[in-house]
Amino acid sequence: MPKRLFAKVQRMVTGNSAIKVLLGGFAMGIIGMSLFGTSMIYTGTEQFCANNCHEMANNNTREFRDTIHDKNRTGVRATCADCHVPHAPVPLYVAKMGALNDLWSHHVTHSVDTPEKFDAQRPMMATRVWTYMKGNDSRECRFCHDESKMDPEKQSEMAKARHIKAKKERMTCIDCHYGIAHKVPEGPGPQEIEVDKAFISRSSIF
Amino acid sequence: MSKVIQRFRALGSRRGSLLVLAVGLILGLAAFFSAGSFMVYANSEKFCATSCHEMSYLAVEHKGTIHDKNRTGVRATCNDCHVPHGYITNYLAKLNLFNDYWGHFVTHSIDTKEKFEAKRSELAVKVWVYMKQNDSRECRHCHTTAKMDAEKQTEKARARHEKLRTEGLTCIDCHFAIAHTEPNGPGPKELFATGPAKK
Repeated sequence: MPKRLFAKVQRMVTGNSAIKVLLGGFAMGIIGMSLFGTSMIYTGTEQFCANNCHEMANNNTREFRDTIHDKNRTGVRATCADCHVPHAPVPLYVAKMGALNDLWSHHVTHSVDTPEKFDAQRPMMATRVWTYMKGNDSRECRFCHDESKMDPEKQSEMAKARHIKAKKERMTCIDCHYGIAHKVPEGPGPQEIEVDKAFISRSSIF
Repeated sequence: MSKVIQRFRALGSRRGSLLVLAVGLILGLAAFFSAGSFMVYANSEKFCATSCHEMSYLAVEHKGTIHDKNRTGVRATCNDCHVPHGYITNYLAKLNLFNDYWGHFVTHSIDTKEKFEAKRSELAVKVWVYMKQNDSRECRHCHTTAKMDAEKQTEKARARHEKLRTEGLTCIDCHFAIAHTEPNGPGPKELFATGPAKK
């Protein structure tokens, strides 16, 4: 079959249909790219991320319910991908590669398939996310929260003072704002973690 | 042109044919990628707010409003409120750019502050009608009503939101002129006072 198809394409090019072959390739390119883009968008939706496997649905998704990023005064939300997936094209593709990891543990190693196993791994997984966020200066937070557009007048006295202090001490969002959408694990928090830049996952560097 | 076509045919020897297909494929990928990138770029605040002086009037008004600067620094810029977020609707809206080109280069309809102020009411009504007709779709892209926490809203806001649900009002009926200067003339409430809106 591929041989015959190849021969046909060859005949079309040598005959009068070279342009047709070119246009055919062009159409395939357009379709391929739009499928690719659509799958990137679909796999970033709450519907896909939060409910497609019981690992996410039974743990992270339930914990997220009614936190400030789910439900608040204005109804402006941040869902899974907003905090946990890079927003720029290339880092996004790299991060999506990392999802192969999830498929592996879901289908092969079953590493977090019960709430008990999940809780046992929670400190390790949380530390991984904190390290990532510290390493890229909480890039995903800052995608929505534009520091230069925060109005200190609207913040509490305490928040105002702490933000000033944080800036002076070169801290980043996640140093204080952790455990805000998921349960806080046992063990050291982000401020206690030393970030070794060599171990930051690749998609955080681009 | 015929020379180019002849070149293509010459490529037909063995592997060349697949090369033609591959070239087409790459062109297709590049075309779609650049079209998509253009959509993203044409929606950026940088492009919308500062590319022409007509818009820069509006950009100045937006500065310091709640959608520009607030407690958390989560913002809405031009396109968040004024450009549809679905694929096809976005493309259709982008075609309207030609309208803007026409006004900018040919008719100069709002090229001075005076002309702009003279047309402000007409322009505002156009946007309000649009938002009323699609039940404030662009507002709702960010503001999920089901995820609003009534407990965190003021007494007044809570009562009014309750009321609007029963009366079939939409966001823009009350939340108008929150990012730009309010024009003289009727507001959305007076314009759409002809009974409850569609569900």
